[in-house]
Amino acid sequence: MEALLQNLDTLLVYVFGVAALVAGALMIVLRHPMQVAMALISAMVFLGGVYGLLGVHFIAAFQVLIYVGAVMVFMVYAIMLLDVRDKSYTQRFSRFLVLGIAGAVIFVGVLVYGFAHGQHASARASVSFGLQQFASAFLNEYWLHFELTSVLLVAAVVAAMAVIRGSKRHG
Amino acid sequence: MIQDLVVYVAYIVYAIAVLMTFGTLLTWVERKQSAVMQDRIGANRAYVRLPFTQIKLIWLGLFHGIADGLKLMTKEDWRPKTYDWYAYAVAPWVCFVPVLLVFAVIPFGGLMVPAKLFPSLAGFFGDRAYPMQIARLDAGILIVFAFGGMTIIGAMLAGWSSYNKFSMLGALRAGSQMISYELVMGLTVLGLILIYGTVDLTTIVQEQSGTLLGFLPAWGVFHQPFAATLFMAAAIAENKRIPFDLPEAESELISGFYTEYSAMKMGLFMFAEFIEIAIIGALFTTLFLGGCNLPYMSDAGFAFPGGSVLPMSHGAVVVTQLVVFLAKVMLICSFQILIRWSLPRFRYDQVLKFAWKFMFPLALMNLVVTAVLAWMATSP
Repeated sequence: MEALLQNLDTLLVYVFGVAALVAGALMIVLRHPMQVAMALISAMVFLGGVYGLLGVHFIAAFQVLIYVGAVMVFMVYAIMLLDVRDKSYTQRFSRFLVLGIAGAVIFVGVLVYGFAHGQHASARASVSFGLQQFASAFLNEYWLHFELTSVLLVAAVVAAMAVIRGSKRHG
Repeated sequence: MIQDLVVYVAYIVYAIAVLMTFGTLLTWVERKQSAVMQDRIGANRAYVRLPFTQIKLIWLGLFHGIADGLKLMTKEDWRPKTYDWYAYAVAPWVCFVPVLLVFAVIPFGGLMVPAKLFPSLAGFFGDRAYPMQIARLDAGILIVFAFGGMTIIGAMLAGWSSYNKFSMLGALRAGSQMISYELVMGLTVLGLILIYGTVDLTTIVQEQSGTLLGFLPAWGVFHQPFAATLFMAAAIAENKRIPFDLPEAESELISGFYTEYSAMKMGLFMFAEFIEIAIIGALFTTLFLGGCNLPYMSDAGFAFPGGSVLPMSHGAVVVTQLVVFLAKVMLICSFQILIRWSLPRFRYDQVLKFAWKFMFPLALMNLVVTAVLAWMATSP
């Protein structure tokens, strides 16, 4: 009992990790966009669990808050309005099958190479990385990146509006 | 190790018991309070008859909650012809579970020292002390919003998977409304975080033990009265209740996103809604009403503005905090029900305009003013 409690964290990290992997695989295998979105949401939540167990609770909170609470909510919102009789739902593979497999092989190859030759960071950070450190690093060093991203996002929103307006005028 | 397990299992059992009790009790409060407000008698039919006698226990209609539960459990679980029955089955749980999880980070009491509380167990517990909170995480309030955002997906999934146009419209409304008000809610809380300088809910509660201007208790509602009002309005909208119940407006959409749900699956949506009332009450209490403490009270006892101090024994503090927290939550729940039975429903475009053109700018303004004041207070 005592041993189980002591190793509970490690056990749970493995459980969440495997669950995230399964969800990720499902995301690729499933065909209906809504099911794919659900698999992606599960993967994000399980990853959040892994982050939480590694001791960075606020990263876990951001993971769920931003990816599930914001990004995926909009995705689900859009998927909800798709036509369910779309042909692509019944097709197994897309035109980019060969390209995709090649990309996957290269990606896995790089991962294996990096894992075999690179230095391994220990899974459990010895220094406590709290919200305070995160906030000061974020606002002192990375504020420019963040602001640039927001400019990019505004540009994307304006572009989307322009596309909608344009298609309305033509239609 | 085992000691931690014992304490936290006790906390979790307590939290679930409290939430379930609130969920059941609030159905009764809603009926009875609305009856009082409208000068009716209200629910008084369900009874339990003592065996072998003709004595019927009515108890002000308290058994109506049990009758509801039994009815929902034994009804036919009718399934629509849906293209994704898995999503259909999982949707009520996606609505229900995050609401329960939010309570994990809410402190329902101060610091508890089991050895002082139960001297006979001092050998087992030693000098361990536990904050009365299931998980004290440094992310605190962020966790609340992270889980709060997940219920949106549940509502949209339910509407989409029902294969019904009313459900779909309800899901659309639920999605856009909840996204909008979630944002307002987050912005209103930011001002409070600026003042207390932390997102940790236990620290926020402790910070509210002092006094403000010498005589007011340093509660969030006195620091940020404006934010408190906005938070309450946004929270009610987030919970999709009248005057913001457009996603399930029965005169337009039958039952909105859960039209196609029956029996206990539909009950789960209702139950989640009632538990969320209690969660909103708990959050409001924690952020704006000093949490589990009475005015001028902290874990040590009372320290009145005049300078007089009234120390309390540990047992008295723990019991007072538990009771005071529940009483405050109940008060806020009752206030929400008061609003629900007082105001008429918005029109749908008004709901979104209200969020984006009225509440959102106000919340931003509140944040800017708070930031400037906080900066002036800290800079010499």
